[in-house]
Amino acid sequence: MSDGPRPELVIDGFPGKRRPRWVELATSADHKDLGRILLAGSLGFLFIALVELLLMRLQLAIPENTFLSPVAFNRMLSLYGTSAIFLFALPLALGLFYYAAPLQIGARGTALPRLGQIGVALWIAGATVLYAGFLFTPSEAGINPLAPLTELAFLSNNGVDAWATATGLATLGFVFIAIDLLTTLRNMRAPGMAWRRVPVFSWAATVSCWLLLVIGPVLLAALTMLMIDRNYDGVFFADGSGGAPLLWQHLSWIFFSGAYMLILIFAFAAIAEIVATFSGRPLANRGAVMGSLVAIAVLGTLAWMQNMLTAPIGIGWMYFAMLMSLALIVPFGLIVFNLIATMLGGALRMRAPLLFALGAISSISIGLAAEIDHSMVAAAWQLKNTTDSTAATHFALVGGAVFGGFAALHYWFPKMTGRTMGESLARISFWTMGAGVLLAFIPLFLAGGEQGEVIDAYKFFASNDVSAYNLIASIGSLVLAAGIAMTLVNAISSRVNGPEAGHDPWGGESLEWFALSPPEPHNFDVLPDVRSAHPMSDIRDAIAHRTRRVDAPPRESQPVA
Amino acid sequence: MTPHSPGTDQIDTLLGIGFVAAAIVVVAINLALIVAVRRNRAKRGGVPSTSSGSRRVQFRVGAVLTVFAAAIFVASVVVTGKARETPASGSSGLAAAKSEPLTIKATGQQWLWRYDYPNGAFSYYKVVVPVDTAVKLELLSTDVVHTWDVPDLSGKRDAVPGKVNEVVFRADEEGTYQGQSATLSGQAYAAMRTEVEVVSPAEYQAFLKRQKADIQTAQDRVVGLIENGEVP
Repeated sequence: MSDGPRPELVIDGFPGKRRPRWVELATSADHKDLGRILLAGSLGFLFIALVELLLMRLQLAIPENTFLSPVAFNRMLSLYGTSAIFLFALPLALGLFYYAAPLQIGARGTALPRLGQIGVALWIAGATVLYAGFLFTPSEAGINPLAPLTELAFLSNNGVDAWATATGLATLGFVFIAIDLLTTLRNMRAPGMAWRRVPVFSWAATVSCWLLLVIGPVLLAALTMLMIDRNYDGVFFADGSGGAPLLWQHLSWIFFSGAYMLILIFAFAAIAEIVATFSGRPLANRGAVMGSLVAIAVLGTLAWMQNMLTAPIGIGWMYFAMLMSLALIVPFGLIVFNLIATMLGGALRMRAPLLFALGAISSISIGLAAEIDHSMVAAAWQLKNTTDSTAATHFALVGGAVFGGFAALHYWFPKMTGRTMGESLARISFWTMGAGVLLAFIPLFLAGGEQGEVIDAYKFFASNDVSAYNLIASIGSLVLAAGIAMTLVNAISSRVNGPEAGHDPWGGESLEWFALSPPEPHNFDVLPDVRSAHPMSDIRDAIAHRTRRVDAPPRESQPVA
Repeated sequence: MTPHSPGTDQIDTLLGIGFVAAAIVVVAINLALIVAVRRNRAKRGGVPSTSSGSRRVQFRVGAVLTVFAAAIFVASVVVTGKARETPASGSSGLAAAKSEPLTIKATGQQWLWRYDYPNGAFSYYKVVVPVDTAVKLELLSTDVVHTWDVPDLSGKRDAVPGKVNEVVFRADEEGTYQGQSATLSGQAYAAMRTEVEVVSPAEYQAFLKRQKADIQTAQDRVVGLIENGEVP
């Protein structure tokens, strides 16, 4: 933190009165402010999504429970899914990309800040519309509401309209942010920062933004068709008048598969930065990891029909989906291999970011291993739409967005606030979450895989032999939620009370650690020439070189700035 | 799931292969994580390597992963092909379905399954089929997407309005098999269950006759009431 005005920034006494902080934040087009809004908002919606999950798990704690009515359960389900994906996981990933990537590439801002600002505003509008549904009737149509259940004939209240508007606004906002970020990453990298020297996390931001430019408009088109169907007598997804319910499945699964991949790309890139930093060495085979991230985006989106293996589509399409899904084993495997290879040659500092990163790898490994089974066509006929798929998706996405997101949060929190998050609470939170995720979702694997308990149902019957599994899963969800809540509390209290971190608390390799904590509005006073993939090491070496005593080893310098 | 049809036998096999593959992945990754953390803590005093990896190792690891993925793919295609085969009816099955499978129409509607038999009889909720006989269910929907799912007899398949999907099975044992619709279809989705009752061919024939006669009686009664003016 700079105390008092710095010589080159003499702005004290600038005419006009300063506006209150919240007005500054609300009207800011600075990527750091917008990134913080997205991040804080997404963590808030994580809490809301958890409450919805707990209400559903409470309903499913005992057989034939009547705690929630079927309609209330379906509303919670719809809100939970939409909140978890559109209001938590995607904005969390985008918020961190938007905050950190311009800093990492040494940019003094973004290329199209107003576009990013509109994007965040659209996302807030989407969130507002979704929850304004409580004023009348939230959607009852499920997480990915399959047509024709969403047609006016089957759900005639405005819940589905609110859902479609909300997700549409949020998605449009994401696309705007992606355009801004992509332009920035393309045009505003520091001198000398060729693509091969771009930090992995910024590279992942590039890949994710391209991915959003492809999948975002697909969902927007589908939502527009749905709105025309519902409000202007359209027949896009209505059977019998030339429409096709399956069209919705294709379009929506393209988006959801891509979004799933985006969350994992975000998580693995953050994990890669963290593992390298806390191993004290460069990431093994950067090139292979960066290429794998691209492969995941392409193959993962092409595998959209993996979600439709029980639908009336030709067997050839099913094999195609299986081929694309199984091909993902190679890039995911290479990334995990290189992460572990990095750790094997490193000296690990077991701080909270690394702990959460390791938890993320572990949780994602379980989720993706289960997805292998869900991609094998005949096995999928058994496993699809059972709680086994709930468990697989949650292991992968809780691993990616919650564990991976929290790893990134702990890692960049000092940059955003100048303070580190409390270490002991982080550890308690981590182990609680680890126990919670296993308790909550392993029983669902068993209930779905062995007993075929179906997905999304508001009740189950004692005769299904899944009562014990569901009770354990409900308790596990509570434990998981408690663990997550601890980190949220930790983040809130550490903003003011955390230990002061300095500008480079972890010894990171990329340029965000060259800026102040929190960075000035213009990010950097001076920009270094980038000569390698680890500019901060070069800077430290240069400083050490200049200040070196004859007998001192070359890299014992203090971090700069 | 306890397989009671040739198709589900194959699915069971593939699930076993899938479980082994998934277990290999989970165990390998998590074991490697544990080893890496135990061996390389900074407080053990190791010096971090400055190597940025070797390209040759990447190709080897990539090759191993490709072989692993390809093996799963091939195994899935082979087993899925077998699971899709229409089984032949056995000797104790229905004589009329010796060459062609017995075709029954299953129509999903919010929130009930209706089954139409070849002789014009129909039933709701429960379908009665002969044992040891290849049965083909043509899945239709009159409203939203439903999924027909009786795990012991067949993999699940969606009934999508405007499309025809099918499941084929040959029950190997008499008895009652429970199933449940597996796609969210609205309020009473969780209660949208179904039941397959597998009986001997003779009982099946008797059921068809009885069901048809009952439906006829009921229809005659309704028609009679309308003619008598008791129902407006």
